[in-house]
Amino acid sequence: MRKIWLIAAATYRRQARSSRFLFLTFALPVIMVIAGAVPLLRAQGGAAAAVGYVDGTGQLALDAAAPADGGPALIAYADLAAAHAATARGEIAGYLAIPADYFEGAPVAYYGDEEPNFELQAALTARMRRALLPDRPDWALARLDDPSDVTYVARDTGDAVATGPAMVVRIVAPIALAIVFAIVVMTGAGQMGSAMALEKERRSMEMIITSLAPRELVAGKVLGMTLLSATQVGVWAVGAGIAIALALAGAADPSAFSVPWNVLLWAVLLGAPGYFLYALLAAGLGMIAGDNQQAQQLASILGVIGLSPLWFTGLLINAIDGPLAVALTLFPLTAPIVALIRMALTEVPTWQLVAALVAIILALLGSVWLVGRVFRAGMLMYGQRLRPRQIVRALRDA
Amino acid sequence: MTHAEDALEVEGVSKTYATVRAVDDLSFSVAPGEIFGLLGPNGAGKTTSIRMMLDIIKPDAGRISVLGGPMTEATKARIGYLPEERGLYEDMTLLETLLFLAQLKGLSRQTARERAESYLNEVELWDAHDLKIKALSRGMNQKAQFVAATMHEPDLIIVDEPFSGLDPVNTRIIKTLLYRMRDRGAAIIMSTHQMHQVEEMCQRILLIDHGRRVLYGPLADIRRQFASNAVEVDLRGELDQVPGVAHLAPRNGGYRLLLQDGVRPEQVLRTLVDLPDVTVERFERVATSLDEIFIQVVGRRPADEETTAV
Repeated sequence: MRKIWLIAAATYRRQARSSRFLFLTFALPVIMVIAGAVPLLRAQGGAAAAVGYVDGTGQLALDAAAPADGGPALIAYADLAAAHAATARGEIAGYLAIPADYFEGAPVAYYGDEEPNFELQAALTARMRRALLPDRPDWALARLDDPSDVTYVARDTGDAVATGPAMVVRIVAPIALAIVFAIVVMTGAGQMGSAMALEKERRSMEMIITSLAPRELVAGKVLGMTLLSATQVGVWAVGAGIAIALALAGAADPSAFSVPWNVLLWAVLLGAPGYFLYALLAAGLGMIAGDNQQAQQLASILGVIGLSPLWFTGLLINAIDGPLAVALTLFPLTAPIVALIRMALTEVPTWQLVAALVAIILALLGSVWLVGRVFRAGMLMYGQRLRPRQIVRALRDA
Repeated sequence: MTHAEDALEVEGVSKTYATVRAVDDLSFSVAPGEIFGLLGPNGAGKTTSIRMMLDIIKPDAGRISVLGGPMTEATKARIGYLPEERGLYEDMTLLETLLFLAQLKGLSRQTARERAESYLNEVELWDAHDLKIKALSRGMNQKAQFVAATMHEPDLIIVDEPFSGLDPVNTRIIKTLLYRMRDRGAAIIMSTHQMHQVEEMCQRILLIDHGRRVLYGPLADIRRQFASNAVEVDLRGELDQVPGVAHLAPRNGGYRLLLQDGVRPEQVLRTLVDLPDVTVERFERVATSLDEIFIQVVGRRPADEETTAV
């Protein structure tokens, strides 16, 4: 075990210092945090600028209908020319022109130097709603802004699924986890092939292998790359957490979001052995490859198989419990992603999830044996380009 | 020497790749405390043999005993290997590399550090211990790899072209280390094409060709076996014809004399001493160099013969 840790630590140190890893790991969270902070920064930019309006109907007192949460001050103007002049002087950011036939369905125009953003549009809509119903109590107007959150309760199981934030978590969490798995497989496990091929190409393997068993070398490499991926996902998770917290600051009630424990559990149960399976297969392909370039080509084939469920998302959604979806759930290389996508949209039967786990573990055990054999074959093919007949021969000779 | 004393014993080992017989019924042994030359032309099967000794690949037939038994994980810690194709991690520093490889051989980090410092000082590389491997020159890299292969003080050392890329000063440093390891009792297998190094360092050799053993035994015996029937003399005076000499050629101010079949060098020496107007200053039997033996033996392939000088 000590040798496995030594290999893992060396692999981790060497990879973690590479500029490619540092960029991939830290660039994404920085972008996420910046994106999450933008609304907050804008909100802190000071009170929203005043907006004018010209009421052609003569019946909408927008300036008097300020909602509880504030929003921009609204200033009434007698005509368009006055509002236009005020805009030119910089007294208001722009103005609404409400036509005389507004009640018959004519549209409202907004004149300004900049298109009104989402927040301004929402604030103006709320004012219009209040101005249309001036005699309603505040609670009724507040309810009018958000008439209903529907919670669906299954009659047989009693499971409740709410709309709003809870529904977002239910759908987004599994899909986000599936995408994270795909990225981690591509950046971590997928790199195993390159790592092994480079070891062969640079001839370091011949010296290392006289100190330990091939399985220890492969296990150490897989462990090192796994820790590397875990670091990457950890940094991304922290970045995503900060970004979400910033984006939701003051805009949503955090208690409305709950942790989807069931999804997380299956993501780990299927994702961890699924990752090891990809890493082992990539290591085997890296051993067979003649050089790093060829290893990357082979790894991309593995990646195509692994990511294929994402391309067939449309087909899967159309028949989320159909034969294709079930088959891909039970196929070890696609199981983690397909199971998570399905969990976003349907109740995946537990037996299918358990069967997927068993299939992945069996495939993992098989690939341990296979990679051991491939390892010796790879040592026979030092520096040679890959040809299928040679691989078969080398596997036989190994 | 009994088999129990051998550091390495190879018995009837064969390996075939598809239709190519890379190693064919190879047998030899290496004793502790000797430097053993493993020789052969390119493609003779040396690398395959070494890889089988190291358990990197399995033989199709035969038996290999390493340090008293089959290769185990514990045995691996007692082996040092310097492959012909050098390969250290370019993005690691020299010291990091040595600590990593020594710990894989079972040394504690503390011991590995002490040994690394001592060995690097000895090969005059301590000043470069913080440099990345990719920043080292070819010669420095060669010495670094040698230290990596031997700093755990193994009982069996296999070095493939250990002097490649080294100047005479650094060659001397590595030789000194190899001699010290031999004196400590380590068995050293040296594979090289530098025959003069083999002549200087090895007690016994194995020459393989086409995967087969063609020469095996003590180097002195093999050289005697291939000794030429020629002598070199330095003398005052002139030589024209000498009884018992088939051919006479001036050489570096003296002469090289090729003796007739059945004529012994001492007979010719007596004749020369008796010649009037001639004073013999040096008389030396011409030894056949290992280079010449190599060319002779490998050149007359594919004869199925083997010369054993045990």
